[in-house]
Amino acid sequence: MTALDTRPPDAETQPEVFEDVTDPPSLIGRWTRRVAITSIVVFVGLPIFTLLIWSFAFRWNFPDLLPSEWGNRAWAYVASDSSRTFEGLWNSTKLAVLVTIMAIVVGLPASRALGQHDFRGKSTVEWLLMMPIIVPTLVATMGIHQIFIRMRLTETLFGVALVHLIPAIPYFVLVMASVFANYGTALEETAQSLGANKIQVFRYVTLPAISSGLLVASMFTFLISWGQYVTTLLIGGGTFVTLPLVLFPFLSGASHSNAAAISLVFVAPAIIVLILTSRQLGRDSSAMGGFGKL
Amino acid sequence: MKDILRLPFMLGPALGIVVLLFGGGLVVGLGQSLGYFPAIGLRDFTFEHYASVLTDSNFLRSLWLTFRIATVTTILSSVIAVGLALVLRQKFAGSRLSSFIFQIPLPVPHLVAASGIILLITQSGLIARFGTAVGILDTPADFPALVFDRAGIAIILTFLWKEVPFIGLVVLAILQSVGPQFEEQARTLGANARQRFFSVLLPLIMPGVLSTSIIVFAFTFANYEIPLLLGTRFPATLPVIAFRGYQDPDLALRPEAMAVSIVLAVVAVLLLVAYRRLARYAVK
Amino acid sequence: MTDVSLQSLSRRFGDNVAVRDLSLDIESGELVAFLGPSGCGKTTTLRMITGLLRPTSGDVQFDGESVVEIPTERRGAVMVFQKHLLFPTMDVAQNVGFGLKMAGVDKSEISSRVSEMLRLVELPGLEERKAHELSGGQQQRVALARALVVRPKVLLLDEPLANLDANLRITMRQLIRSIQSELGITAIFVTHDQEEAVMLADRVALMLDGVLQQVGSPDVFYRSPRTTEVARFFRNGNFLAGTRTGSTVRTSLGDVTVDSARVPAGDGPVVLTIRPEEIQLASNGSGQSNVIPAMVTSVIYMGSFTRLVLQVGDSTWHVQGPAGLQATEGTSVHLRLPTEHIWLVEEDSVPQETEGNVAV
Repeated sequence: MTALDTRPPDAETQPEVFEDVTDPPSLIGRWTRRVAITSIVVFVGLPIFTLLIWSFAFRWNFPDLLPSEWGNRAWAYVASDSSRTFEGLWNSTKLAVLVTIMAIVVGLPASRALGQHDFRGKSTVEWLLMMPIIVPTLVATMGIHQIFIRMRLTETLFGVALVHLIPAIPYFVLVMASVFANYGTALEETAQSLGANKIQVFRYVTLPAISSGLLVASMFTFLISWGQYVTTLLIGGGTFVTLPLVLFPFLSGASHSNAAAISLVFVAPAIIVLILTSRQLGRDSSAMGGFGKL
Repeated sequence: MKDILRLPFMLGPALGIVVLLFGGGLVVGLGQSLGYFPAIGLRDFTFEHYASVLTDSNFLRSLWLTFRIATVTTILSSVIAVGLALVLRQKFAGSRLSSFIFQIPLPVPHLVAASGIILLITQSGLIARFGTAVGILDTPADFPALVFDRAGIAIILTFLWKEVPFIGLVVLAILQSVGPQFEEQARTLGANARQRFFSVLLPLIMPGVLSTSIIVFAFTFANYEIPLLLGTRFPATLPVIAFRGYQDPDLALRPEAMAVSIVLAVVAVLLLVAYRRLARYAVK
Repeated sequence: MTDVSLQSLSRRFGDNVAVRDLSLDIESGELVAFLGPSGCGKTTTLRMITGLLRPTSGDVQFDGESVVEIPTERRGAVMVFQKHLLFPTMDVAQNVGFGLKMAGVDKSEISSRVSEMLRLVELPGLEERKAHELSGGQQQRVALARALVVRPKVLLLDEPLANLDANLRITMRQLIRSIQSELGITAIFVTHDQEEAVMLADRVALMLDGVLQQVGSPDVFYRSPRTTEVARFFRNGNFLAGTRTGSTVRTSLGDVTVDSARVPAGDGPVVLTIRPEEIQLASNGSGQSNVIPAMVTSVIYMGSFTRLVLQVGDSTWHVQGPAGLQATEGTSVHLRLPTEHIWLVEEDSVPQETEGNVAV
């Protein structure tokens, strides 16, 4: 973990307001910037835009630029029981929420320990916890499959959640350890000296201070579980159906409209999470900075 | 003093889950790859599965493909991400909107990204249609095969779509927390734009770039879904081969599948450790 | 060895005028202190001189040539900030040698010049250390060395000592002063601490609210402050209004004689001022000239001197006397105002247009 001083510049001596009258001679010229921004907008927007149109296309053959016939057929299919979309949506949600809660319960104390304390063997602990990021998780999942069968954990919500925890915990700890490191214990010590007990300190001092970082970490954990395919397939045995499992066959098939519609259902909650947390992502650089500390 | 006693309890659960589930899975997998598979009666340890895997030229081809895709993705996404972060850190009309758009790929699942990109770049995809509308192409076959191609272009594009914002936002966070002060100091000391970038900025963002690129490399090296969807069936990437072998109803093939996956894991770890060492050395 | 000329320099941010019509000529090798409270525009002015900020109007000239169109990296006006801003990934030698490396100076020459400069700032042998391994004072000295080694045309220091503790500040001031005069570099030093300005500078330029109030050698601000604001900034709040005829000023508390040769010319309404240290306590009110009555409000023992707070007419005055000064709160006393120490200030209600070298 680095020793970089990432505190923001002193507002007193470096006011925000120093803008040049003309364009500041910086590293990025005006035209470079315009090209870059356009590229971002186009590259990010095109796939999503394409999905949107396809989901409403009834007939859309080459080489037409727009569907020759529009329709809701794909959405009707999505809404129907035979597509199992709602079943998948419900399972995915239950699963992701469970995984997030478990990650928070298990990960918060660990992050705090790593972020605020130094101890012998800390480096080893860090490496151990980060293992699932470096070592492909598929390997361990295949290995543990047999054991899970024997323990009757396969095809259960809990079993799949456990497997999702494997990649989730390292990312959660990576973000939160950085948040805790930046946070420091001074505030809590002050509160304690003012007479607050442990629970009060946690509720009134710690929690508000780490809340935006916690939101980012939880969001990542949620999304990690949300996007899992092969691990759910393996441990869920094919009977525990989540959205990625519903979507996957369509992606290799010919029904683009259905694939597009299900994709959009799959992505919707994630976008909602993004809107909720994007303000945090911008403001709290200690959370994103966690990824820079591996 | 009390804190030190509490440490094991704070770290225990998380460590326990990772070590037991992940470590345990690795150990079982290792055992099976060495031929220890009681379920079908194998109890001897042998290296024969590794031998057959490592001498199989198809395996080596897959290894190279996996490595190539991961490396190209990591290098391209790092370079592009740094460039975009430099653009986005300034304040200009529409900078906040642009940053928001830049973030959009972060929460989008890889499968959805693949879904959108397939529809764009197949030979009958949206871009090809645009090409015919403009008159550059006539038939679907005129458009280059970017999916199921030997180069893995669709795979790389999908990963880029997701990973460039990831690396970019971390670099952006670093740049914003550092602020313009070091560059201003360097300017008064006579450094021009190029010198400021290489001598001042790059060293500051390097740890962040390094860390995120390690994550990106590890992820793309180990990913199963995207190469399965968008890549050639043959050669396939290592994770695809490993899982394919695992799913084979003939359980006798299982140890070999496990050997493939263990090699996958070992190679991944070796590459990443080497990368980290190399990068640290280069920074000095 | 560069002359610096600021000509009607102005800078506004939207509706806010940070620097208004600033004109000042600084001679080669001179150390000028820009003094003023936070937000008075001194940092903005520095940034315009170095080129990090463009003036809204006006000109900056080095040796008679306008530099406003020249970007910072080619201007040669090096800045030392309040935060040392040592590049965290480089060691001391690399930091100090940074400007030379940017200029393409050859490695061996960089090495010798760096060692030489580190000796000059009294940090020999620290080449290999990293910034975070040094103390605050050492860090600022490295920052100073880094700025000086490139032989800048102008050295700009933006409150470089503000983060250091008091004793360190004193030694650093002396170090900066001696190096600057030894090397003959034109320097501008920004500070809010008037003691610092007075101790360091050849000339002091006082800025309030973006406007240059007065420029001159340090003693000028004590003996002849131009306005009440200037006087107050230098810890003199003793003012008395009156009407002047010739050498006599008639006030509500008595007649006071002033030295016509010394004070500004002009009869009519005036405001006189005298520094707390120059006032004497008289035994009684009769038989002496330049004596006014006052009422003691408090007596404060300050160790090496005693401060009296008094009610003089409608206003509050301070008198600073020797440590053994006897006075009782609540009693009336008489203050003797020696003619040679009385000065007449302008009542400062409107920011004045600056004049070039107002060295009175």
